[in-house]
Amino acid sequence: MSILSYILLVPIITLGILLLLPANAVRAIRWLCALSGLAACALSLELFFLYDSAAGTVQFEEIIPWVQGVGINYHVGVDGFSTVLILLNSLVYFTGVLTMWDLEKRVKEYFVFMVLLVIGVYGVFMSLDLFFFFFFYEIAVVPMYPLILIWGSGNKDYAAMKLMVFLLAGSALLFPGLLAIYHEAGLHSFDMVALAAHSFDPEFQVFCYPFIYLGFGVLAGMFPFHSWSPTGHVAAPAAVSMLHAGVLMKLGAFGVLAVGMRLLPEGAVFWAPTFSVLAAIGIIYGAFVAMRQSDFKFVIGFSSVSHMGVVLLGLNLAALNKAGADALNGAVFQMFAHGIMTALFFSTVGFIYDRAHSKTLADFGGLGSQMPRAVSIFIIAGLCGAGLPGLASFWPELLVFLAALNTYPIIGVAIIGGLVLTAIYILRVFALAFYGPPNPRWDGLREQDMRGFQLLPRVLLVAVLFFFGFYPNAMLNTINQTTVALLGRF
Amino acid sequence: MSDALLFAPEIALIATGLLLFFCSVFETSYRTAWLLALLGGALSLAAVFWTFGSTGEPFAPGIYRVDFFSQFAKMALALGYLLVVAISYSPQTLNKSAWLEFPMLLLFATLGTMMMVSATELLTLYIAMELAAYPLYIAVALHRNPESSGESSTKYMLQGMITSAISLYGMSFLYGVFGSTYFSEFARQLPAAAGQPLLWVGLVLLLAGFLFKLGSFPFHFWAPDTYQTAPHEVVTYLATVSKVAAIALLCRLVALMGDAQMPEVLMWMSIAAMTLGNFAALVQKDFKRLLGYSAVAHAGYILLGIQTGAILGFSSALFYALGYLIMSFACFLVVCEVGRNSDSVSVDSLKGLHQRSPLLAATLMVGLFGLIGLPPTVGFIGKWFLFSAALEQGQFGLVLVAAINSVVALYYYLLVLRAAYLEDAADATAVEIGPFVRLTALASMAIVVVLGIFPGPFWAMAERAARALR
Repeated sequence: MSILSYILLVPIITLGILLLLPANAVRAIRWLCALSGLAACALSLELFFLYDSAAGTVQFEEIIPWVQGVGINYHVGVDGFSTVLILLNSLVYFTGVLTMWDLEKRVKEYFVFMVLLVIGVYGVFMSLDLFFFFFFYEIAVVPMYPLILIWGSGNKDYAAMKLMVFLLAGSALLFPGLLAIYHEAGLHSFDMVALAAHSFDPEFQVFCYPFIYLGFGVLAGMFPFHSWSPTGHVAAPAAVSMLHAGVLMKLGAFGVLAVGMRLLPEGAVFWAPTFSVLAAIGIIYGAFVAMRQSDFKFVIGFSSVSHMGVVLLGLNLAALNKAGADALNGAVFQMFAHGIMTALFFSTVGFIYDRAHSKTLADFGGLGSQMPRAVSIFIIAGLCGAGLPGLASFWPELLVFLAALNTYPIIGVAIIGGLVLTAIYILRVFALAFYGPPNPRWDGLREQDMRGFQLLPRVLLVAVLFFFGFYPNAMLNTINQTTVALLGRF
Repeated sequence: MSDALLFAPEIALIATGLLLFFCSVFETSYRTAWLLALLGGALSLAAVFWTFGSTGEPFAPGIYRVDFFSQFAKMALALGYLLVVAISYSPQTLNKSAWLEFPMLLLFATLGTMMMVSATELLTLYIAMELAAYPLYIAVALHRNPESSGESSTKYMLQGMITSAISLYGMSFLYGVFGSTYFSEFARQLPAAAGQPLLWVGLVLLLAGFLFKLGSFPFHFWAPDTYQTAPHEVVTYLATVSKVAAIALLCRLVALMGDAQMPEVLMWMSIAAMTLGNFAALVQKDFKRLLGYSAVAHAGYILLGIQTGAILGFSSALFYALGYLIMSFACFLVVCEVGRNSDSVSVDSLKGLHQRSPLLAATLMVGLFGLIGLPPTVGFIGKWFLFSAALEQGQFGLVLVAAINSVVALYYYLLVLRAAYLEDAADATAVEIGPFVRLTALASMAIVVVLGIFPGPFWAMAERAARALR
C-alpha cells in the first residue's frame, strides 16, 4: 500500500473508532482525534520529504479496480501540488482539533463530522480518478451543513442553507461536466492520467470548461458566486471556519487546476481572459467590502474572497502562459499560505470569542493590553494577510502580481491597488480592536489569555508562516517541476 | 435444474399465503401470522438466490421467463417485502380487526409483482399486474380511522383501475398490430411494424399502468394523498416494493421495443416528473406527503436512465431501484416508529429526534442523504450511473436539468434533517423501539453505505440483468 492510502486510512480508522465510542467518553474522543491529527501530520511530513521534487511527476501511485465495466478505479497519486496541499490539510486538521479542545456540546457528533470532512479533503487531493475526485469532493462539502447548523452561532440557519445550496449548485454544473469529459473521451475510464493524455476536441473544451471552472470556482469563493463564503465563515464554529477557509476553499481551486486546466487546456486558454477579470474584481471587491465590516469574522471572510482571488487569478494567468512559471507557482503557494494564515486567524478569533462572546470590532477598543498573547498572534496573521515580507503570503502575492504585470498591466496595477486596500482593512482592525483605549468591560479577560496548551496550535501555525516566509524555496522547489510539466500543456 | 423448480420463489409465497389464509380463518394471534409472513419472505428470498443464474421457462414456452433479469428484480422485491414485514410487528395505524389479513395482502401483492417481472406475454402480465394491485387497494383502505384514509384510498383505487383499463386498451392495440400476445413474437415482427402509428399509440397507452405504479407524471396524483393518509406500513410497501416492480417492467418494455420512438415520450415525462415532484415537495409540511412528492421526483430520475434505451441505462435504473428501495425504506422506518400512535407525521413532529432516539435520527439522516444523492451513500453513485447513462446518449441538457433538480430537492430534505438534528423536541419522551426494528434500522443504514462505497459487485449484477433483457 502506498503512503497515500495510509494517510487516507488514518482519519477513516479514526472515524470507525469514533462511531463505536460512547458519546460521553469525551476525553477519549478528544485524545483520539488529536493523536489521529498528529499521525496525519507525521505521515504528510514524511510524504513531503519523500516526494522527489526534481522529477515533478505523479508519484506514490496505487490502483485498485473498483467498479469494472464503467472504468472506475481507486487510483491515488500525488504531484508537487497535492503534496503540499496534503500537508496543509494535516496541519489544519491537527490544529483544528486542538482549537476545539474545550468543546462541550455534542462532542462525539462534532468530531465525527469534522473527521468526515478531513477524509473528503485528503481524498480529493490524492485522487487520480474522476469519480473518486468528485466522490470525495462531495464528502468534504456535506458535513459543513450540520457543523454550522448545530455548533455555529448567529445567523446560522441562513448561513448553513445558503452554503449548501451554493456549493451543490456548483456540483450540479460539475455533474454533467465531468461525465461529459468521460463520454467525450470514449476511453471507458475515469482515470485522470489517461484522460489527460487524450486530446479533446477544442470545441468541446471551450464548451465544457466553464462548467468545470464555475462548478469548482463556487467553492473557491470566486466572484460573483462568493457570497455564501463570508456568511458561512461567520456562522461556523472556530475549527470549522479553519477547515472551511483553510482547506475546503482550496478544493475548489485545486479542482480547477487538476480537472479543468489539466484535462481541458485549450478551454482554459480560451476562457482565461474572462475569468482573469472576474478574479481581479474579486480581489479588489473583497478588500473593499472587508474595509467596511464591523465584525471580526466578516473581515476575515471577505479577505478570504480577496485572497482566493489571487489564487484564481494566478491559475488563469498560468493558462495564458506569458509569464513563465511565476503565476502557477504563486497560485499554489498562495493556496498553502492562505490556508495556514486563515486557520490562524479563525483559531485566534475563535479563542477570543469563546471568552468575550463578542466579535464586534468596536466593542473591543484596546484588547491589546488585556489579551496580549492572543492579540499578537492575530496581528501576525494580519500582517501575513497584508503581504508583509518575512511571512509566507509575501512570496505568492509577489509572484502573481509580477505575472499579472507581465500579462495584463492594467490588472496588475489594479490589484496592487488592492494590496493597499488589504493593508488598510487589516490596520483598521488593529486600530479599532487592539490599540484603542482599553474597554474596562474586558478587564476580566487578563486572566484568561492564551497559555500553555492553548498556545500550541497557534504557535505551530505561526512557525509555519515564518518558515515559508524566510525559506520560500522549501515550497517552490517542491512544486516547480510540476508547474513546468503542467505549463507544457498550454 | 428442472424448469418447474425455477418457480420456487413464487411457490414459497403461495404456500405461505395459504397458511396465512388459515391463520385469518382460525383467528390465530397476530404474532403467529407475522412470523409466518416473515418466514415465507425469507424462504422466497433464499429461493431467489438458489435460482440465481439459471434461465428457463417453468410453464408453456413464451409466457413466463426466469432469467438473471427477473431474479435480480425478485431479489429486490423479496428483500423489500421482508423489510416491510419486519417493521410491521405492531402496525398501530391499521384497523385492529384487519391485522391478521394484512401480512397476507402484502404477500399476495409481492407474488403479483414477482410474476410481473417474469411475464413475457400480455395476458400473463395483465393478470400479474392485477394480482399485485388488488391487495393494495384493500390495504390502503385499512386505516384505523376510516375518515382519514377514505379519500385517498378511493383515489388510489379509482386511478389504479382507470390506468389498468388504459393499459388493457393499449394491449388490445398491440394485439391488433402483431396478431399475438407473446413478447417474442413482438420482437420478431418489430422491424416490419416499426412505422405504424397504431403500435406507437398502443405502447403509450400500455405505459399508463406502469407509470401509475411508479407514481410518475402524469399518473402521480394518488401518490401525495395516499402517502399522507394511508397506514404507515402500507405506504412503506407502496414506496419500496411497488416501485421496483414498475421500474423492472418499464425496462423490459423499453428494451423489447427498441427504438420505437418511446424513449422520447419517456424523456419528457422524466423531466416533468422530477421538476413537478421537487417543486411541489418544497412547500410540504407533512413528512409523508413530502416523501410522496419526492417519490414522484425519483421516478423522474429513474426514467432518465430507462429512456436511454441502452444497456447502461437499464443497468443504472435497476441499480438505482435496488438502492432506492433501501433509502426509501430507511426514511419510512422512521415514519413508522415516530408515527406509531399518530395518523400523520409532520415535519415538525420530527423535531428533536436526535434526543428522542439517536438511532432513528441517524437512520433518517442516512436515508435522506441517500435521497439527496450525497456520498458515501448509494444515492450518489446511483445518480452518477443514471446521469452517465443519459450523457452516453449525448443528452447534456437533460442531465443538467436533472442535476439542478437535485439542488432544489436539497432544500426540503435539509429542512427535515434540520428539524431532526437541530431543534429541541416539544415532548422529549424517548421513542421506544424494539430489538428487531433496531436491527432492521442498522441493516438498512449499512446497506445504503456499503452499496455506496462498494458498488462493484452489485453493479456487475445489475449490468448482467440488463444484458439478459436483450
